[in-house]
Amino acid sequence: MRRDGARRDVRPRQGRRLRNHLGLRARVITAFAVGALALSCVMAGITYFAARQSILAERQATAQRQAFVNASLVEQSLRSSRTDLAQLLESVDTLPGSQSVLHTDGQWYATSISVSQRTLPRALRAEASAGNAATQRFVASGTPRFAVAVPLPSVHADYFEVFSLSEVASTLRTLAAVLGAAALVTVVGGALLGVWASRRTLRPLVGVTDAAVAIAEGSLGTRVDAGDDADLQTLAAAFNRMAANLQQRIEREARFTSDVSHELRSPLTTLSASVAVLQAHRDELEPRAQRALSLLDDDLARFRHMVDDLLEISRFDAGSAELALDDVDPVELVRHALASSPAANRDDLRVDVDLRVAAVRLRVDKRRFERILANLVDNAARYAGGVTRVLVRPGRPTDDGRVSSVRVVVEDNGPGIPPTERDRLFERFYRGDLAGRRAAGDGTGLGLSLVAEHVRLHGGSVWIEDAPGGGARFVVELPVDPVGADDGAARPEGGGGPGEPPLADPARPARHPSPRPAGTRAS
Amino acid sequence: MHHVLIVEDDERIRTSMRLALEDEGYAVTDVESGEDAVAELESTLPDVVLIDLMLPGMDGFETCRRLRRTSTVPVIMVTARSDTHDVVAGLEAGADDYVTKPFVAKELAARIRALLRRVRPEDESPSSFTFGDVTIERDAGVVTRGGGEVHCTRTEFRLLCELADNAGRVLSREHLLERVWGYDYFGDGRLVDVHVRRLRTKVEPDPASPRFILTVRGMGYKLVV
Repeated sequence: MRRDGARRDVRPRQGRRLRNHLGLRARVITAFAVGALALSCVMAGITYFAARQSILAERQATAQRQAFVNASLVEQSLRSSRTDLAQLLESVDTLPGSQSVLHTDGQWYATSISVSQRTLPRALRAEASAGNAATQRFVASGTPRFAVAVPLPSVHADYFEVFSLSEVASTLRTLAAVLGAAALVTVVGGALLGVWASRRTLRPLVGVTDAAVAIAEGSLGTRVDAGDDADLQTLAAAFNRMAANLQQRIEREARFTSDVSHELRSPLTTLSASVAVLQAHRDELEPRAQRALSLLDDDLARFRHMVDDLLEISRFDAGSAELALDDVDPVELVRHALASSPAANRDDLRVDVDLRVAAVRLRVDKRRFERILANLVDNAARYAGGVTRVLVRPGRPTDDGRVSSVRVVVEDNGPGIPPTERDRLFERFYRGDLAGRRAAGDGTGLGLSLVAEHVRLHGGSVWIEDAPGGGARFVVELPVDPVGADDGAARPEGGGGPGEPPLADPARPARHPSPRPAGTRAS
Repeated sequence: MHHVLIVEDDERIRTSMRLALEDEGYAVTDVESGEDAVAELESTLPDVVLIDLMLPGMDGFETCRRLRRTSTVPVIMVTARSDTHDVVAGLEAGADDYVTKPFVAKELAARIRALLRRVRPEDESPSSFTFGDVTIERDAGVVTRGGGEVHCTRTEFRLLCELADNAGRVLSREHLLERVWGYDYFGDGRLVDVHVRRLRTKVEPDPASPRFILTVRGMGYKLVV
């Protein structure tokens, strides 16, 4: 009970944490993507600015060199003779996209109408007229430009050369686009790396989860293998220790039940035989002694049933319950099972058989099937005024229309069972609001839970519905072949080794034969 | 009056069983160990032997094997659990049938009666039947193979006769359980399987790949000539 309390403590905290935050996987992926984005932004920025600096510097140096060469050419020409200034400027224009402007004697000459003295920044002109050589970068009519001013004091002129930087700008734009694309690729790459890393990181968690699921499903021997990772070994060791303790405790409990039931067998055998002797000599007893003997006999029978049921339960708990499968005609099986149940021996009991079932062979553990039906019939007789109808029907057909499961439906005459009670009814010793009718119940309280266990062992399911005429309807659905249709060697031929059960396939212990997990379900 | 030998180490169980079986009309001898049982069998010849599997010293399996060397007397194993391999091992050791503790005296008496039953001769069945080199002499209760006598227990003989009477027809386990052991539909099919297996070692040339007593998967067994 304390274990349950602890679980209740832990669960809501976990739930809140999960709601408030992203999952671990999402967080790892996001972290990788953001990291990649930041890194690539920084790298792209540095690359861009370094490239920009170096390209501009080189371009400007070239421009400056040319401007000075041109300026000295213009100076020489001006000094030697007064030639046509426009022609002179045309002749010095060498770089594509560069234009010259000459200011001499208060007159402005330019090689192109797109460039004039007005194009030149005021500050540059001022520098030139002050007699200083200067350079300036500026934007004119949407184009980035670079201007060099060379004062030529010997001829009273200022020479300006204006270079277009649009080529450089487009190179830088291309560079920026390439760097941006590279950053995007890096982010995606980072996210992918995050997916891979998170998967790798979470793989041990997946292993632990799988192990926990396997243990919950009854494979108590499941353990986690940590490999050679020191961090994981701690987790794996803790998990394995927990699993081992759990297994030990469960097995001890199961063994205890089994041991107790076994110890009860010997005295019960003596009691049974002795009461049989007394019954044989019943006539020699006084009426009072006869009554006492009847009581003794009745409760001895009940005691025997209880010990049988406890033993059966302990075998399920220990995981040692095995199917002894036989191929049978389901209809014949139901008829025989009903015939051997005293509570079903009534003339008005109807057995409705769907004809599709009559053609089916059912692979089933006959003894367990008999117990299933006997317990259901017994339950109906005890609490619901007896069985009114038994139906044998095919289950939901497979895609190719084959009958893959058989349903046995037991309807009773009682008040029905409220939906909230339906699943709990299959719990051990559960009596629910039927407890008030304890007087009617001298059962062991294990009958329906054993029904669920037997059904689950077959890989089938059992549930409760409302019967059409009121009352409850217990539906047992069993697969036609609990270990699969491909089973070609279920019954060992000839010499199986000694101590090998010939009815159970040794290759398949059939402890958890079903892909369907639940033994019971509400419908 | 039929004579029953009980081999059981628990004194209270032994005594209560004796009292109950005596009330059912049997003469009963009880011993507390396998060694005592072997000694007892040298002087007396019981009609049925009940052996508890869990005996101190020589266990029930060994007692049964020792007894089978010299005798074909019907043996019922008394087991603590019906679901373990004990049942099959007990049957392999030569037991004819088994009961599980705690049993009801009436159930035990019914099992003993079934084992003591005489083979019911079918009206039209011939007094002898032959397959391969094996001949069943129904009236004499003898099976011979290649001229020599095959030592069959009563149950094996009854099983062989049932198969021979229905030669060529598939007999289900349920049918055989009812006809040979007197069980109802829910009898333990392992009884049939182990006895068929043991019978094959006695009458088949190669018991691992039988030629006469065949398994029909999902249906039962049949004898072919």
